Amino acid sequence: MDNITVKSKDVTLLEVLDRVLDKGVIIAGDIVISVADVDLIYLGLKVLLSSVETMECLRGAPFPSPMQEAT
Amino acid sequence: MKLYLYGIIDSSSMIRESICGLEGSGVYNIPYCDIGTAVSEINQPIPGVSKRLVLEHEAVAEKLMEKFTVLPFRLLTILDGRENVLSMMDDYYGDFRDNLDGLRGKVEFGIKVIWPADKVKSCIINTCGTKNRNAHLLDDSAERRFVREKFEQHKIDRAFREKADGYINAMDVFLGKFATAKKLETLRTENLLLSAVYLVTKDNQDNFREAFEHVRTARKDFKYLVSGPWPPYHFVILRRNSQPRRNSGLTAMFDKVILQPTLVGADKTWQ
Amino acid sequence: MAMNSVVETDFPETFVEEMEKLQEALPRRIDANPKNVEKGLAKLVLTLVELVRKLLEKQAMRRIEAGSLSDEQIERVGETLMKLETKMHELKEVFGLKDEELNINLGPLGDLM
Repeated sequence: MDNITVKSKDVTLLEVLDRVLDKGVIIAGDIVISVADVDLIYLGLKVLLSSVETMECLRGAPFPSPMQEAT
Repeated sequence: MKLYLYGIIDSSSMIRESICGLEGSGVYNIPYCDIGTAVSEINQPIPGVSKRLVLEHEAVAEKLMEKFTVLPFRLLTILDGRENVLSMMDDYYGDFRDNLDGLRGKVEFGIKVIWPADKVKSCIINTCGTKNRNAHLLDDSAERRFVREKFEQHKIDRAFREKADGYINAMDVFLGKFATAKKLETLRTENLLLSAVYLVTKDNQDNFREAFEHVRTARKDFKYLVSGPWPPYHFVILRRNSQPRRNSGLTAMFDKVILQPTLVGADKTWQ
Repeated sequence: MAMNSVVETDFPETFVEEMEKLQEALPRRIDANPKNVEKGLAKLVLTLVELVRKLLEKQAMRRIEAGSLSDEQIERVGETLMKLETKMHELKEVFGLKDEELNINLGPLGDLM
């Protein structure tokens, strides 16, 4: 998949990309990490997830905020 | 027969309007109980994500939105054969049904706000930067200077974020008033103060736009963008997917991460 | 390809500039060759190291603010943080990685850093 070149400075395209590229219905299995040992990576990711939770407690400069959902 | 998926719709009838999809193929409905999947047949492999593909996909989602409640698919969701589409709807029926009911008659608006980050920082530095309450850090060693500078930066960054939150909350008072749901992201970049999506009922679209105009005129030094109405890309929640699959992973750890079209066949082991 | 959704702004160029920075965080596919595999691995490792380093800095700042570190401790913390930062600069240069590349997108959780 090629990188999308947005040199045409099309702000509409970028707003659309913001949606169709990583929002919308995902029927699981369509994101693939194509490197060798899947189990190893999955384990690693669990570790990462707790780090993120810890980080969210440390809230403050300079990391971007996660999406805040409100009902 | 490869099928390109555009969205789940709350209808099991034929799509009467002629909607043109990828490769100029007609978009049609594959029904399941009282819902359906809007698809078109693709004959060529899709070589990459191109501007044309993105806009064609979105155009179909919007046309569907005119007549139906749509749960729009992510780009490049491709299934192999009608059976797999039916089986996918079977797997997700409850989720799809709930989302369709919850999103009926609602549309999504995007709001982005850019602020002058440099000016905000200068202002913060001028008002609180030079006071040095930590007298014991005035020692000259390189290490202490380093820490002192880090500490100053830490305070500035925190004040920066607090200011950002303040402005965002003020804006959200107006924008959130006519929204049934929202997602707000602060400072995705330093300058991009706010990146938000609001779920608004169709009846309230004008009220929402009015609220936006009010916000837009409030500060001359901020820059504003509004987009929409979109199908509710950001508001579809699938409970089923919140359980990680055994062999799946999260994104973008390596250069070789691919957004891969789903070619679901035999692998339907949900753990 | 008519689209009914509108995108309205008085400053399209400014928004394009900022939004393009966001697009850089999207995963890309590149050709598999040994050099790139190494770089991919380096990116992962350095991202994790950078995460830990930033957490350390943060924690240090909190403790300094709380006044719970002695002068000597501050000195030592400063030295360690300095060295870590310098080391990270070097490693990034060795692998040709920029700050923006040392990040991981965690899907619904947003970016790691």
